[in-house]
Amino acid sequence: MARAAGLTTMPDFRLWRGQPRIGGSSEEPPDAELVRQMRLGHEPALEGLYGRYGGLVYTLALRIVGDRELAREVLQDTFLRAWNASEAYDAQRGRVPWWLMGIARNRAIDLLRSRPHQARVREQEPVRAEVRDPASVGSPDAVALRRAVMNALQGLTTTQRQAIELAYYGGLTQVEIARELREPLGTVKSRTREAMERLRQLLGPLVEDETGRVTRP
Amino acid sequence: MSGEHERFVEELAAYVLDSVEGPERARIEAHIASCATCGGLLREYQAVVGVLPVSLEPVVPPAEAWAAIRNAARGRPLHMGFFARMAEFVNWRPVAGWSVVGAVVASLLIWNVVLQLEVPGKSEGPQVEALARRPGRLVILAGAGVPAASARLLVAADGGHGHLAIAGLKRLPADRIYQIWFVRAGAPTVTGGTFNVDARGRAWVSVDTPVPFDEVREIAVTEEAAPRSVTPTGPYLLVARSWR
Repeated sequence: MARAAGLTTMPDFRLWRGQPRIGGSSEEPPDAELVRQMRLGHEPALEGLYGRYGGLVYTLALRIVGDRELAREVLQDTFLRAWNASEAYDAQRGRVPWWLMGIARNRAIDLLRSRPHQARVREQEPVRAEVRDPASVGSPDAVALRRAVMNALQGLTTTQRQAIELAYYGGLTQVEIARELREPLGTVKSRTREAMERLRQLLGPLVEDETGRVTRP
Repeated sequence: MSGEHERFVEELAAYVLDSVEGPERARIEAHIASCATCGGLLREYQAVVGVLPVSLEPVVPPAEAWAAIRNAARGRPLHMGFFARMAEFVNWRPVAGWSVVGAVVASLLIWNVVLQLEVPGKSEGPQVEALARRPGRLVILAGAGVPAASARLLVAADGGHGHLAIAGLKRLPADRIYQIWFVRAGAPTVTGGTFNVDARGRAWVSVDTPVPFDEVREIAVTEEAAPRSVTPTGPYLLVARSWR
């Protein structure tokens, strides 16, 4: 199994399906198997999971809290919680990376919410310019996935993207977003819905392939 | 499609993004539970939100982070679920295992009985403090609808159950009950149990935590019609929204 400390962890297209890393050994166990081994106290399984998703968790945490030290705290806390509560993972409710991202986001938002509201909003300001060029690092599949999600976000209007980002990365409620943007609450709600619907249309086939369990109404 | 349904569809995106507050969240969850269309849309939105972090420019974590995680993991006993531990143990030791299982179960039962006996008729403060020192998490619920009320929830390290110490609520008549709720992002709110308080406004109750604690975003207490409600209908009397 790859040594976690030496890995530059990148989100990998195929990893979202819980498959072995592209370019890695075909004997690498899928994510769910690593979680199962963690339940039995096998530390290499934790290391393996960290090797796959440590980078993504840290990236998300840093995006939310905007501070490397706090992001590291979130990263460490996320994997320790996963280690201590691996039985909480339910494969029926989503992929392993979603579970990890959920833990990380909750922890990061908790940290964010412990700060004054204005500080939180200020921390979100650089985000509004987010949506950069696709990173040049990572496997081709990872880059393709990142490009697809970035293109989808670029397909939104600025205000739609802002609504999504203030909610997801900023941890703001719709009321707080409306107050911050000085927009009617109904406008913010509609904008959020339109943005999500647009993302669903743009990412739908990709997401459906990835999860294999999305059902259309 | 009814106007009421459309209203919930309008809220669904914000709900998935964890951007809706308590009472409205509960109403949305109640609707989702009874609406297959919204249930399907919810899953699609959840899948979209699940890939949002992939769009971020990757940042390599500091090298020392893994060492800290590994050392902390080694320093902590693994909180495996009780049955997983026992199953693993029995698999390896089919003969001797069951006697050990029996002894452990007996110990837990004794511990639980002692816990129950500690409570009635005494000041709860020392017991709460003692329990707070056991492995687990302490969550403070502050009075919302009842500013003078407060509560402390002690959740066992491996989740699954906790103990709630309450003060400052009024005693309810027989047809009313207090109910504790675990509010999650993108998933239905679930109840952890019901209780009433004594004449002094205090109670000390065992609480189920039927969902992974890391998924819980809010813990709230409401007043409901007895014997219990399937979803919170009353205003939050006690609430906790942030804890370590």
